[in-house]
Amino acid sequence: MSCSPFDLRDYYFKELAENERRLTEVHVKTCAHCREELERLHGTESALLALPDEEIPQRIGFVSDPVFQPSGFRRGWDALWGSAARLGFVSAAMLSAALLVFSLTRPVPQANAPAPAMTQTATQADFSKRLDDAVSKAVAASEARQVRQTQELLAASDKRHALETQAMMVRVQEYLEVEKKHLNTLILASNDAGANGDAR
Amino acid sequence: MILRAVEDADLIRKARRGDVEAYNLLISRWERRVYNYLLRIVANREDALDLSQDVFLKAYQNLRKLEDPARFAPWLYRIAHNEAYSLFRKRRPEGETEELQPETMEGAATLGGNAVFPVELTLAVSSALRKLTADQRETVILKIYQGFKFEEIAEIVDAPVSTVKSRLYTALDLLKAELAPVKAPTKARGVS
Repeated sequence: MSCSPFDLRDYYFKELAENERRLTEVHVKTCAHCREELERLHGTESALLALPDEEIPQRIGFVSDPVFQPSGFRRGWDALWGSAARLGFVSAAMLSAALLVFSLTRPVPQANAPAPAMTQTATQADFSKRLDDAVSKAVAASEARQVRQTQELLAASDKRHALETQAMMVRVQEYLEVEKKHLNTLILASNDAGANGDAR
Repeated sequence: MILRAVEDADLIRKARRGDVEAYNLLISRWERRVYNYLLRIVANREDALDLSQDVFLKAYQNLRKLEDPARFAPWLYRIAHNEAYSLFRKRRPEGETEELQPETMEGAATLGGNAVFPVELTLAVSSALRKLTADQRETVILKIYQGFKFEEIAEIVDAPVSTVKSRLYTALDLLKAELAPVKAPTKARGVS
């Protein structure tokens, strides 16, 4: 069992991250057991590498034979799908072509054609009717609003007039009372003067 | 003068446009490695050569499907892996689970091993590799002989990275036990 902080075999095959490699390296310098383990791994690898590579008995090469090459259409098709820019350009070109064809082949509407005229007339009549209806509704609503406001104003005016009349009647009544008292006083005074004259 | 090495990605782009010579140059860079990978899996030179040709033909026909040219190597080995296992399925009788046994390794000692490596070591390694399962052997080949990262091996054999690591480390434990009595050379490829 290795005492290394990380797998010693990963360290040997250089499969550790840099910080892990450094830590393991520091440990190996001070651990004889791990150094022995590394030496055993090295010995096994060296023995395996004693089996040399062989030369290939026959070189491999291809000639420019059309049989082994994809067709021109296939190359173009693959190139098209292999490039987003090309695909986008071709799509835009196809869309443009479709718009052009549509604009050239679209039937031109005739000015005196009966069906469209009827349709137009019908549309105008419908529009006028709806406009008249809308105007009538708006006028009726406005008139109703004005009548309501007039009635409210009249009611307020009548109320105010009644109050003013009542106040005036009260003032007249008070004035009459004062005058009546004044007249009584004069009568009494006259009576007193007449009595004094008779006595003399 | 600015010298620029032609990268695989450049050759792939040219080959995609139908440049056969660029593809032949790409093949020349990879054919030896692919051949040896297949040879160690199928254990037969003729089959390995045939499969190598099929692999490069399929790669050429499907080159446009390669999304990232930087991932060419794992993608190419994935094709090679599929071709090899397709051959296994054709040749293996129904229900038999054991893979084909290597028959060329005795030749390997005479072809490439004599001059540099002791014959007994080469034979011992061949024998030890034969004792692994096909999956373990392929993982060892891809890691030790082909130098792929675990993630790339996982992509090639279509298995999780954890499975790949498990296969490799189990295989290395077995190989260590098998090869312990044999003295390894003091210096070998890729080890300084």
